[in-house]
Amino acid sequence: MTTIAESAPPLVKIDGLAVTFYTPRGSVRALRSVSLEVGRGEVLGVVGESGCGKSTMAFAIMGYLPGTTKVDGTIHFEGREIADMRASELRELRGNRIAMVYQDPATSLNPTMRVGPQIEEVLREHLNLDGKAARERVAELFRSVNLADPERVGRRYPHQLSGGMQQRVGIAMALACGPDLLIMDEPTTGLDVTTEATILDLVVELKDRVNAGIIYVSHNLGVIARVADRVAVMYAGQVVEEAPVRDLFKDPKHPYTAGLLACVPQPPTDGEVATTLRSIPGSVFSAQDEAGDGCLFAERCPMAQDDCRSRSPALFDVGGGHSARCFFAKDVRTDIWGEAEEREERARSTEQPVLEATGLRRFYGQWQRKYIFFGPRVRPPVRAVSDIDFEVGASSTLGIVGESGSGKTTAARAVAGLVPRTRGELRLRGEDLASSVEDRTGSQKAAMSMVFQNPAASLNPKRPIKHAIVRSLRKFAGLGRKESRDRAAELMEAVGLDASHLDRHPGELSGGQQQRVALAGAFAANPDVIIADEAVSALDVSVQAQVLNLLGEHQKEAGSSYIFISHDLGVVRYVSDDILVLYAGHVAESGPAEAVLNGPSHPYTEALLSAAPVPDPDAEPTRIRLSGAVPTLRQRFQGCFFAGRCPRKIGPICDDTPPPPNNRPPPPPPPRRRAGRPPTGASRPLTPAQPKSN
Amino acid sequence: MAIRVSTGDIQTGLPQAAFDSIAALGRKLRNALRMCMATTAGRIGFPIVMVHFILAAIGPWLAPYSPTEFHEPLDVFQLQAPSTQFWLGTDQFGRDILSRIMAGATSIIAVSVAGAGLGIALGTAVGMSSAYKGGRVDEVVMRVMDGLMSFPSLLLALLVLTSLGPSHVNIAATVGVVSMPRVARVIRSVTLTLKTQEFVQSARLRGESSFYIVFREILPNALPVLGVEASIRLSYAVLTVSSLGFLGLGVQPPSSDWGLMISQSRQFLVSAPWVALAPAGAVASLIVGVNLLADGLKQASGLPQEKAS
Repeated sequence: MTTIAESAPPLVKIDGLAVTFYTPRGSVRALRSVSLEVGRGEVLGVVGESGCGKSTMAFAIMGYLPGTTKVDGTIHFEGREIADMRASELRELRGNRIAMVYQDPATSLNPTMRVGPQIEEVLREHLNLDGKAARERVAELFRSVNLADPERVGRRYPHQLSGGMQQRVGIAMALACGPDLLIMDEPTTGLDVTTEATILDLVVELKDRVNAGIIYVSHNLGVIARVADRVAVMYAGQVVEEAPVRDLFKDPKHPYTAGLLACVPQPPTDGEVATTLRSIPGSVFSAQDEAGDGCLFAERCPMAQDDCRSRSPALFDVGGGHSARCFFAKDVRTDIWGEAEEREERARSTEQPVLEATGLRRFYGQWQRKYIFFGPRVRPPVRAVSDIDFEVGASSTLGIVGESGSGKTTAARAVAGLVPRTRGELRLRGEDLASSVEDRTGSQKAAMSMVFQNPAASLNPKRPIKHAIVRSLRKFAGLGRKESRDRAAELMEAVGLDASHLDRHPGELSGGQQQRVALAGAFAANPDVIIADEAVSALDVSVQAQVLNLLGEHQKEAGSSYIFISHDLGVVRYVSDDILVLYAGHVAESGPAEAVLNGPSHPYTEALLSAAPVPDPDAEPTRIRLSGAVPTLRQRFQGCFFAGRCPRKIGPICDDTPPPPNNRPPPPPPPRRRAGRPPTGASRPLTPAQPKSN
Repeated sequence: MAIRVSTGDIQTGLPQAAFDSIAALGRKLRNALRMCMATTAGRIGFPIVMVHFILAAIGPWLAPYSPTEFHEPLDVFQLQAPSTQFWLGTDQFGRDILSRIMAGATSIIAVSVAGAGLGIALGTAVGMSSAYKGGRVDEVVMRVMDGLMSFPSLLLALLVLTSLGPSHVNIAATVGVVSMPRVARVIRSVTLTLKTQEFVQSARLRGESSFYIVFREILPNALPVLGVEASIRLSYAVLTVSSLGFLGLGVQPPSSDWGLMISQSRQFLVSAPWVALAPAGAVASLIVGVNLLADGLKQASGLPQEKAS
């Protein structure tokens, strides 16, 4: 990748690109100064947190910026300046020479057109292909992106395809004219891990097959490690580090990169001890702020000297195509963010579990009849959660993992009482819990709280942020006006926020701060069980680490138990004592975290683990890939619920006979179960005395 | 979960809460007005509406003559064209039209505002509760609303007023009932989106009563929509009230009513058009002003710009 420069100009050369958007609320400096090159046949990974200008850069190359934008710097495509091109030339360039794959395939495809004709349109426009030739080319494209049944897929509408298939169609469309440059803007962000893995495989394969330059934009270091040859790390509209992928991950030379790597929970490799997560304090330098004289990262940097605040560093070359925007690039080491401390092994409590769920079931809708009130039953309810059992131990964390549609959120909401359960029992410290939260007693309500995924929506935008905290303090702790205000201030400080923020409105806080406020509200009543439903998924990695650490500290101090729901295996591994793997509303596997994740005994867990992207370019992913999509949940499974996608399917027996429960050997650490129940952990942890209908 | 008033296990501190919410409402109104005045529609509409409201408040004292004063002799002062003495001319009884319009502003605006306000209050309560409750109750309530809406509103108003007799209170009540289902529909759809938001779920987990959730958590977020809806309803209320007056079911003579004035001047439309034009212009400018204000509010609050129903 270093030898291309001699003969021809590089495919794309960006020089000093700065983009400013003018909005009614002031100007937004999306890009401050970006210089990059991409050659043919290489994948440039662009990584950074939200608001760092990754997508703006992608759109700037396409020339897709709105009119109220000020663009400085140059973008050369094969030596020609894009800004000098006429509209017709630019149109010729887009689609034909430069193509883009967007984040959300569901909105980038036209929902009213079959997918085949949508691609034929591109072919007609740019290559003058028509009729049979175009159709053949479309089938060929579909085959090249590994779509099943390439001849007939084109006749379907976008909504008839799964997310992964839609994104394959999107990639096929981008490839239609054999582009020289392919820009992929977070193409797997909306997809499940198992689907993401297959798309990433495709990108890796394409890299070798088409002789195009690829710019791959992602916030996920694991994904970048998997696909990129060279990586540019962006921060606050600048490239702060650029290096070949291996150098970047093994030997980061910018404190920010080192910090990002330290923030991602990584699975301990064999023989190593689990370490605590380090976090980057503060939040990303705002694009609305004017850059001062100093380094934009100095505020958050542990190595910052006086010099860093008065002079802005340039990109320093540290050799081997590796450069970093830091005065002290040579001194950056992975431990600048603090020593990786060994996590203390928590003693497994032998107390009674705090929360027990038995045969928890939640169906959505009812049987529908052909003529509303009469006639045969034609449409069954959706079996979102079918008879799952689990326990949450005292001051321990139960992690629930699964893809979208696996029923994890439904299960959490049924536990919280936000949706009534269809069947099953819930016991909190031995007491039966009513189905709906409105019917539970005051102390039962106080004993459970929930943190949601979307921090912006979990606080009432029209009330000051003290509102939720103060209300639960007054209701559950019975505090007066003055005391609750004081206690709320304490809580705010406990979650690392200034108590003076209490009277602000949620819109004035960043996403990470909002989520901290939500946590303060959840901690307020000192509940026994806190349900965190994808509580860190919407946050940037550096902020995610802060929130995870906060949760851990609170657990140590207050002894709460958590139900931690996430699709991110790395995060779940980091926080959980026990793990419940859900698939299609059924428990695929459950047990102590180490046992489940180090020696999975269900093929689905195995597939999930193998699909999860690891931020290590040398990690050889075990190639277990699931095909197809999560099955419809409208009918009961005759045999094994996973039979349709199982890579270890042994034959027709899987389709018609449910597998026997409990075929996992007792896990090595002492199981934390009550006497009288066998050490469970497999798919059906029910005692024989309680036969199950399903 | 039924709509239940606070179960009593907490003290809401009603006077303080009420004071807080009134103060907050004032702040919001000021804010909304400032945003509204930044739009062209708001800049034109707001002064028009204000002129009408001021007239309604102090018009009777500003008027040059008494609205019921017959200027004698009749054959001189009857149906005079606008002049410096009578700015808008006189009617068939020699009464000053300007004075009659100024006197009539009070009743039409008071009745319309009361009617629209009643409609907004009823519609908000019904729409929000129905949406929050959901399920079968929502289904039944909304079908009843649809039934109410399927009557032509003027016909329904006529029916009520002929049986109860025309009076200010009856007219306002009728206008309120007629506009309730439309308000309920709009507010219901807003509530349906808001109630799935996580902050509502948090409030449920906190054990708040349904009453509290609907009116203290959801309502503040529905206020922008409510403001726009209120101004749309006001313009329809003006239209309905003046139509009723035109049909003789409004304020009874000899007090002045814009609708009645138009109705009585029909016979002189050719010989003395100003007698009809003046009250018609008054009604039209009020409605246009209120509609512009509604548009301004809508633009200011960033709501989608669809056509009002």
